[in-house]
Amino acid sequence: MRDLLASLAGWGVNVAIALTALRTNLMRSILTTLGVMIGVFSVILAVAVGNGAQVSVSQQIATLGSNMAIVVPQPDSGSGPPRPSDRGRLTARDGQAILREVSGVSAVAPQIRSGVQIVAPGRSATTQATGATPEYGVVSNITASEGRFLTQSDIGSAARVAVIGETVATKLFPETSPVGETVRINRVPFTVIGLLESKGSNLGNDNDDQIVVPITTLRQRLLTTASQGPDDVTLIFVGFEDEDSLLAGQAEIKRLLRDRYRVAKGKINPFTVRTTTEIAETTGEVTQIFQAVLVAIASISLLVGGIGIMNIMLVSVTERTREIGLRMALGAKRSDIRNQFLVEAAVLCVIGGAIGLSLAILAASIFERVAEFPAPIGLDTAIMAVAFSAIIGLVFGGYPAIRASRLSPIEALRSE
Amino acid sequence: MTTPLIETHDLVKDYAIGGEIVHAVNNVSLSIARGEFVAIMGASGSGKSTFMNMIGCLDIPTSGTLLLDGIDTKTLDSDALAEIRNRKIGFVFQQFNLLARTSALDNVAVPLIYAGIGYAERRARAQGRLEAMGLANRLQNTPAKLSGGQQQRVAIARALVTDPLMLLADEPTGALDTQTSLDIMGIFQKLNDDGITVVVVTHEPDIAEYAARRIVFRDGQVIQDAAVKSRRRASAA
Repeated sequence: MRDLLASLAGWGVNVAIALTALRTNLMRSILTTLGVMIGVFSVILAVAVGNGAQVSVSQQIATLGSNMAIVVPQPDSGSGPPRPSDRGRLTARDGQAILREVSGVSAVAPQIRSGVQIVAPGRSATTQATGATPEYGVVSNITASEGRFLTQSDIGSAARVAVIGETVATKLFPETSPVGETVRINRVPFTVIGLLESKGSNLGNDNDDQIVVPITTLRQRLLTTASQGPDDVTLIFVGFEDEDSLLAGQAEIKRLLRDRYRVAKGKINPFTVRTTTEIAETTGEVTQIFQAVLVAIASISLLVGGIGIMNIMLVSVTERTREIGLRMALGAKRSDIRNQFLVEAAVLCVIGGAIGLSLAILAASIFERVAEFPAPIGLDTAIMAVAFSAIIGLVFGGYPAIRASRLSPIEALRSE
Repeated sequence: MTTPLIETHDLVKDYAIGGEIVHAVNNVSLSIARGEFVAIMGASGSGKSTFMNMIGCLDIPTSGTLLLDGIDTKTLDSDALAEIRNRKIGFVFQQFNLLARTSALDNVAVPLIYAGIGYAERRARAQGRLEAMGLANRLQNTPAKLSGGQQQRVAIARALVTDPLMLLADEPTGALDTQTSLDIMGIFQKLNDDGITVVVVTHEPDIAEYAARRIVFRDGQVIQDAAVKSRRRASAA
């Protein structure tokens, strides 16, 4: 206990010596600290942005709905661009077949997506229209926060009704509620029957910038090109009862569609079936790589900061060789001298790390407000920052400190 | 019979300068008893400073034996040598070697840091030594705000603060005027009267006359070692 107190007191003395030395060369100390500060700042911010991307992506996937398979008419060619020869097809009847024949399917939501222009008196907007059925709301967990969502009778009668997202609503009706108003979509008059519940935005992708209309109405009134077959859809959402049936169902859907399109053995599928689980995994991997690259780049500046520390510590040792000699003459052991310079480097780094961390927290909160992008800095990140800067101090301050401690007392004393 | 404080046998220190080996100290055997006041004299390059650095454990002999307070220094590692410098030897330098921008009090307390003494005791002991040197009203002055004589007295206080057996002074009056030099020698004489061993390296014959014994070096060897005949006394400042 007594030894511990004495050694703590010894470190306290070293901190006092370090602060005096750093004050003596204040400008130099500030510039050196700046290097570590920038390094810690960029590493922390990179980690925060990476975390934010992961949060954002998982939110995005959550908005898709869980336990869902997505079927698109894109040839499942693995990699490489699709060739015109294997252009895929997908129809609403395929969706009905899936519902009928694949086990564990709770609902099927065929959709057609198309860019449209939507006009209210005096205002207009361009947005994406999804031609859908009421099942779309069930499968992807979409409801109307005001008014109502699509019903089966809207589909049957190909009613000219639309449920619009908040972004669109704000653009067209900044002051009043849009429900009950009449808008023109691609010059065709529609009645707004509801407002989609807001799903916010992730990674710059605004989930509220869309409208939903009956799939029958979209096909009859809004599609201008005749390139599609009368029953063709852009994609089908297949909702499953649970995760197990989703895993089994993915293969079943593939088998069913291969049969329906008579795909010969060895030929690639003219469609792609992806599950939300798969999408979550791949995007999770991508964002992890993204974060790793960011942190790696930011680490370079921390490395440069560390080299700056080493450089200045070497200068400091050279300048104070005579002082080192004197301290040795007065009884300093090699370890005393080594610790003195280690503490000096560590003090520089910890100050730099603390300022860098504070600035990163500030920058992250500004970022969150301005870019509406989450950049969370957790306690783990903060601890990592402090540990990082201390390690930088020990690693890059270590060599100069050991060099100082190995000086011969008399040679150090004689130096000018 | 008491062991001598310093005892050397065939002490040698060689330096390699430009491929040639120079014998800075060449086979020196002598002993210094406790309580002696010794002046080591010689021209520049005579080996007197090298000899002093070795008996101060700042420099390591090339060959020969050095017994310090009965301990063979060859057997000691760098930490043990540091401890001897800290506990048994007090150094006084020509250029004072005080830490700049550091108060007289903190300068005197430095050796106590390495002796592992706590803050309060460090301050108390440093203050006592400075008061004994007549610097009671200069405790917080930095070296820049002290005269040469005052700086050397701070340095002597620092050398004494760990209660060493021996003071080693390398040209302690070299940077001082005549009157201040006399003051410093007076302090040394008084300390010697109180029992501490004093070894002063100097090239000034006048200064050497304040010592009781004079050892003269030339070309790395002792050419004269005798008592000072008409020893001068200085009244302590």
